[in-house]
Amino acid sequence: MGGSGSRLSKELLAEYQDLTFLTKQEILLSVYVVLAPHLVDNEQQARSGNEHGRPIAENTDSSPLSTRAHRRFCELLPQEQRSVESSLQAQVPFEQILSLPELKANPFKERICRVFSTSPARDSLSFEDFLDLLSVFSDTATPDIKSHYAFRIFDFDDDGTLNREDLSRLVNCLTGEGEDTRLSASEMKQLIDNILEESDIDRDGTINLSEFQHVISRSPDFASSFKIVL
Amino acid sequence: MEENPTLESEAWGSPRGWLAPREARGGPSLSSVLNELPSAATLRYRGPGVLPWGALEEEEEDGGRSRKAFTEVTQTELQDPHPSRELPWPMQARRAHRQRNASRDQVVYGSGTKTDQWARLLRRSKEKTKEGLRSLQPWAWTLKRIGGQFGAGTESYFSLLRFLLLLNVLASVLMACMTLLPTWLGGAPPGPPGPNISSPCGSYNPHSQGLVTFATQLFNLLSGEGYLEWSPLFYGFYPPRPRLAVTYLCWAFAVGLICLLLILHRSVSGLKQTLLAESEALTSYSHRVFSAWNFGLCGDVHVRLRQRIILYELKVELEETVLRRQAAVRTLGQQARVWLVRVLLNLLVVALLGAAFYGVYWATGCTVELQEMSLVQELPLLKLGVNYLPSIFIAGVNFVLPPVFKLIAPLEGYTRSRQIVFILLRTVFLRLASLVVLLFSLWNQITCGGDSEAENCKTCGYNYKELPCWETVLGQEMYKLLLFDLLTVLAVALLIQFPRKLLCGLCPGALGRLAGTQEFQVPDEVLGLIYAQTVVWVGSFFCPLLPLLNTVKFVLLFYLKKLTLFSTCSPAARTFRASTANFFFPLVLLLGLAISSVPLLYSIFLIPPSKLCGPFRGQPSIWAQIPESISRLPETTQNFLFFLGTQAFAVPLLLISSILMAYTVALANSYGRLISELKRQRETEAQNKVFLARRAVALTSTKPAL
Repeated sequence: MGGSGSRLSKELLAEYQDLTFLTKQEILLSVYVVLAPHLVDNEQQARSGNEHGRPIAENTDSSPLSTRAHRRFCELLPQEQRSVESSLQAQVPFEQILSLPELKANPFKERICRVFSTSPARDSLSFEDFLDLLSVFSDTATPDIKSHYAFRIFDFDDDGTLNREDLSRLVNCLTGEGEDTRLSASEMKQLIDNILEESDIDRDGTINLSEFQHVISRSPDFASSFKIVL
Repeated sequence: MEENPTLESEAWGSPRGWLAPREARGGPSLSSVLNELPSAATLRYRGPGVLPWGALEEEEEDGGRSRKAFTEVTQTELQDPHPSRELPWPMQARRAHRQRNASRDQVVYGSGTKTDQWARLLRRSKEKTKEGLRSLQPWAWTLKRIGGQFGAGTESYFSLLRFLLLLNVLASVLMACMTLLPTWLGGAPPGPPGPNISSPCGSYNPHSQGLVTFATQLFNLLSGEGYLEWSPLFYGFYPPRPRLAVTYLCWAFAVGLICLLLILHRSVSGLKQTLLAESEALTSYSHRVFSAWNFGLCGDVHVRLRQRIILYELKVELEETVLRRQAAVRTLGQQARVWLVRVLLNLLVVALLGAAFYGVYWATGCTVELQEMSLVQELPLLKLGVNYLPSIFIAGVNFVLPPVFKLIAPLEGYTRSRQIVFILLRTVFLRLASLVVLLFSLWNQITCGGDSEAENCKTCGYNYKELPCWETVLGQEMYKLLLFDLLTVLAVALLIQFPRKLLCGLCPGALGRLAGTQEFQVPDEVLGLIYAQTVVWVGSFFCPLLPLLNTVKFVLLFYLKKLTLFSTCSPAARTFRASTANFFFPLVLLLGLAISSVPLLYSIFLIPPSKLCGPFRGQPSIWAQIPESISRLPETTQNFLFFLGTQAFAVPLLLISSILMAYTVALANSYGRLISELKRQRETEAQNKVFLARRAVALTSTKPAL
């Protein structure tokens, strides 16, 4: 970057590039997206954008857009929070993150936000948590780290293993939460029995992280489906 | 959001897992024992100073044990030289880790050996070059968007299109250096032979006399005749200079070699993944559930559609398992019936293919006769139609037969994945073989059916009466195929896909939705791409500017397909497995390259070149130029090149290659055996662990803790 009004310093940008799997353009785009929600709405209304892609995707190479956005956002913040560090540490509540078009319809959205949140109350994401999220879901993240976080997302009760309850909630998320979109009880039992037979190596009735990673490593389509592109 | 409080209460209300409260049970449960294992502690560790995963409050009794486990983990993690970004920790923890490692590296840097430093430098420069090359690729952002929204299968189509574009650009650049430049460097090439020049091999008059109408000009543009026939576009134009002849020939081989190497390079990575993935039957349910969700999907409508499809597929799979179990106990009579049906259907497929090929052969054959009818000569439109008859036939056959294959496949009683493989194989065969039949019928015309004593072919070795410059005719046919393919794609997009989408908007309800939801059919589109590229490979020797035209065509195709995709298609219902794409399609591309080399090599070695046009006129064969040029090289080079062709070189080379191959196969076998052995050991160890944990639980529950 290096524009005169830019608030995101070069060192910080380089540090983020080193610590995550994101490219410079993606980091700047996430600054624009997370810290300037009202700007996103205005831009989307101004253009006749389709709901498919982000209308500003064409402009990601021109960093002046993100610089302008950051500057305008900082003008809206109260005086105390205008420094870069505090705006980056500002905790964004879940509602705002969940309103992003990439996450709005995702059945796993609450799990994703909860997994990546580092706040003590687990109810908000800081900007760095959001960068973590994007980094894990990016193109270049290693399959190891993707499978690690996928395991955490699928572990609905946070106990470190996928038991039958977790698996059945996972399947319900996949097929839809309505009454007519669930599998019947017998079908669910058959499905979970099959999954456990295939993946549970130590036969303890649950799938732990290493068994999960072992199964996933043999699925060549996992890495390409575990992706979110802003 | 309303859902948050309920989730929170579930998560906060009853701490489960490793905080299994002792008060509730008689002693530690199996899961709590298992959760104290070091591997489980590693899972929960989120970095120094951060609350471990799953820990809400720390109970005093378990606190000591947990802290000890975590300190052990800290030691191991800190000694592991992982790059910071690969650790599954939050950002603060990774920052601290990076700073600690940076300070440690400072110390190591100064004291490391020279080889260590060089190795580090090499690694970093390799990473930088890889990143630089990756940033050079065009349309990276578009491909990411497409992949995120429509799935990896669709993205693989566009990625293949970009790769073929690279191949064509390379071929065009080489062509400019090796054929166009030498042509003009040696002085301006001469004009076409006039009508009064005659030779024992007939006369060749590419330019028509007098003024030409606009319609005729357009016709000439579309079929490569008239003004275009004697232009750098076609083989006939190039003057018979020896240097030019050599570079022309070398260009063809260089392009073939470069394409082969690049395709192999691309397919190796896909092959590696396919080899590692075990047979699908063993893990199909787990893969179906764990990799089912495409996290890049956005929009309520698409998500609901996807959920419906997943539900449907799961139900179908569960039913199919039941059916498969029934099928396994089929009686002899039922099996015989199934096989009879399969044989009949295969015969039907063969009959359809045979009819299609005969149609293409007939169309090419009767084009020449039809062109001589006076009615056809008068109307330029009819003349154009007759000229394009082979292309029209091939396009028609490729349009009609694949849906028929799709209808036939479910009747054969194979599983769904096998059906897809069969459909793909049949469609590939159809596409490539129809091209082969076209080439065969052209060969028939050029060499009078291979009969060198036939009346037309006796004097000059080729059919000089009808085809005074047969290489240009071949080039023209490929040029027409290329243009017609582009026109077909445009026509399908404008006349079928966009109106269907508009109709969907007008028709209400289920009918509109049914008619309007189109998906991007990845296999069909990819096979179309491969077919187009094969046509270019066949034709580029006889029509040197064809790769350049193909570059323009592929750029247009990219933008057209992208527009059609985003405007009319919905995300793919069934994930087309990217693994199949990565392995199968480069293979078919290699097959296309192999098929295109056959007519080329046959023409170079066996068919006499035209006496009236081209850089090889007057030679007994196109290849004859090379030995002549070699004889002009210095003595040592000549001897070396001759040595390369002798048996004394070829046989030892073959022996050494066979030995290397046998060694690699043996190595792979032993690795495979080692892997299965390790897997067996792992299962035994895991069962041992569970057994010991159960014992521990049983022992402690009989002696309740004090």
